[in-house]
Amino acid sequence: MSGDSDLENAESLIEEARVEWQPDTDWLRSLFSRRVVFVLGKGGAGKTTATIALGMAAQRMNKRALMVETGDSDALGSLCLNQILSEIPQQISPFLWGARVDPKAELEAYIRAHVGSGFIARKIIRSRLFSYLIDATPGLKEVMSLGCIWRLEQEKNEQSESRFDLIIVDAPGTGHAMSLLRLPDQLIRMIRVGPVANQIRELQRLLKNPQKTCLVLVTLPEELPVNEAMEFYAVADDELEMPVAVTLMNCVYPSDFSEAESKTIDFFKENPDSSGRAFLDSALRLIRRRRIQQKYIDQIQAKTLGRMKEIPFYFTNDLTLKDIDALSRQLIPPSMNSF
Amino acid sequence: MLSAAICDPDGPEIIVCCGSGGVGKTTVSAAIGLVGALCGKKTIVLTIDPARRLADSLGLKGFNPDAQRVDLKNISGSSKPPEPELYAMMLDAKKTFDGLIFRYAPPEIRKNILNNRYYQHLSNNMAGSHEYMAMENLYEIYNEGRYDLIVLDTPPSRRALDFLESPQRLMNLLGHPFFIKLFKPYFQAGKWGVRLLNIFASPILRGVGRIVGRQALEDFAEFMKLWDDALFDGFGHRAAAVKKLLAGEKSLFMAVSTPQRLPMKEALYLYTRLSENKVPFGGFIINRVQLPDREGEKHGAEKKSGVDENFFREKARFDKPLMEKIIAAHRQMQKLAEKDAESVAELIQKTGGLVEILQIPSVDGEVSNVDDLKRISQYFSSRF
Repeated sequence: MSGDSDLENAESLIEEARVEWQPDTDWLRSLFSRRVVFVLGKGGAGKTTATIALGMAAQRMNKRALMVETGDSDALGSLCLNQILSEIPQQISPFLWGARVDPKAELEAYIRAHVGSGFIARKIIRSRLFSYLIDATPGLKEVMSLGCIWRLEQEKNEQSESRFDLIIVDAPGTGHAMSLLRLPDQLIRMIRVGPVANQIRELQRLLKNPQKTCLVLVTLPEELPVNEAMEFYAVADDELEMPVAVTLMNCVYPSDFSEAESKTIDFFKENPDSSGRAFLDSALRLIRRRRIQQKYIDQIQAKTLGRMKEIPFYFTNDLTLKDIDALSRQLIPPSMNSF
Repeated sequence: MLSAAICDPDGPEIIVCCGSGGVGKTTVSAAIGLVGALCGKKTIVLTIDPARRLADSLGLKGFNPDAQRVDLKNISGSSKPPEPELYAMMLDAKKTFDGLIFRYAPPEIRKNILNNRYYQHLSNNMAGSHEYMAMENLYEIYNEGRYDLIVLDTPPSRRALDFLESPQRLMNLLGHPFFIKLFKPYFQAGKWGVRLLNIFASPILRGVGRIVGRQALEDFAEFMKLWDDALFDGFGHRAAAVKKLLAGEKSLFMAVSTPQRLPMKEALYLYTRLSENKVPFGGFIINRVQLPDREGEKHGAEKKSGVDENFFREKARFDKPLMEKIIAAHRQMQKLAEKDAESVAELIQKTGGLVEILQIPSVDGEVSNVDDLKRISQYFSSRF
């Protein structure tokens, strides 16, 4: 008897271990088997950089990836193609495309499709009411942006396969992004029946399916961004039911020096005979900055159960595409490309 | 010099700090406020969402919407009486809007407005509502006349100038006669209460209703009606007055940025727009600048760092791997300093050297108390 239960125990332990054990990069790699990845974070945290880095990684895996710019930003377009992206996907390289969501164009298309008479549809689109309504109607811009992402996800090529394997959305700042992702739930409560409601349910099926859609949170090892990240995890889990799959910690200073080494440097820095003080100063500054960052990194590590990846600080104020390419290879190492 | 302008008895009464999110606007605003208070002006800093430690150091406890006095008793260099007066206040969009409704709407329709779903959306999260709120608070506090200097930390908007145009934009949107004309005839007669929008009377409204939902349209229409009857004039006058105040000689705008490309682009855009609108501009404050190694600079020569490096090698006080790491660290920090210097030089070139550009060196610690703010404020009077 006891032997049996031991065996069962052992089996359940193995089972538990199997569930918990994941190779270092599995959770990261699984990003690329999704359909839609939303890259979120506070303004200035590095969403656009992360979007391009993920796009480049997808490209290395021979996946056709579309990067989507939202809101008023033009950073993605100006970095990748040196121009403002249009709502029609533009090819950047053989496997990489860029587009921007244009809520107004989307709404126009929607009106044409759903208002029976072409005459009235044209009249609506041309009316001033239309342009004002876009600004003033709660959530209209957001729902049209989501609708655009949904439409791109549905797009097929001539072989009626999905045109894009992966859509990476460079989302607006956290606050705005939250209202964007909350919107379908709110709308479905307001509009229960009709074509719009059906369309939103369709959208929900895409967004709330963790196999298809996931969230990547980009943050910085500083107080405000980390606090905001903590708040966002709670909202993502409890309210959106779209948990954060991966957190990217951006601008992390290197931790090249051991505790003993930093003490040695400190000692010589204080010694009046020391030369090359500027060198010691630089090293100490690095050590100090990393130390301050470390508590925020630890906080996110603990909260995400380790599903956090660091993006090193590049000691520049202006990342080039070349930098992002290097960063992308570091973030998602080539060994993962076979998948 | 910014510090001179802050302390000038005939100087600006309002200093507005604008710039992208995450550049340290709140810290800079607080430091400006501190300078004002220390030179004897009764000063208030209006802020949106300060970092916890900064909020604590400013005495902002929780979400108290009232002005709170900042304790400056222990700050170095302020021992002589009278104690400087610095206040801080956290802004809240919803409360500001509700306050306006209470001010302008007749008591019998207040509830209708406050309960209107469209109004709730507008006051909470419509684009521009935070900016509007900041302007509104600023105007009210200015008119109360209780402070010598008001420092406004603007909301982090993508387009740094949105807030300036927001009162007018909100007016354009809500007060547009076109809307009023469109919706008015479709209200069925009746006193305040449930009003139904007869959307079937207009093919356009019918079409739009099909898109956004009839409920949304009704909420919107009802709000427009309430707005027109009760609030239009009040808001309209206020929006015009706010704009006049901000463009007047009592105001000074500062563009805050870090040396990063995007915030710099925003700051430059802001400068261009402010100049076009003839709004008083006080200059750029570039925060978190990595300064080059001063020793190297003192000796002036570019190859100096090379010489220094050799000298450093000779000493051989460290084992080789550690020495290499130290040299690498130094190179990285120098690279960052060079990039930052380039970024600032570009700004100087683009502004034709006509405006003040202040640089605040990046510190290794976090800003957490009033003394830290004081340390930052010393750069308001030096150029490097």
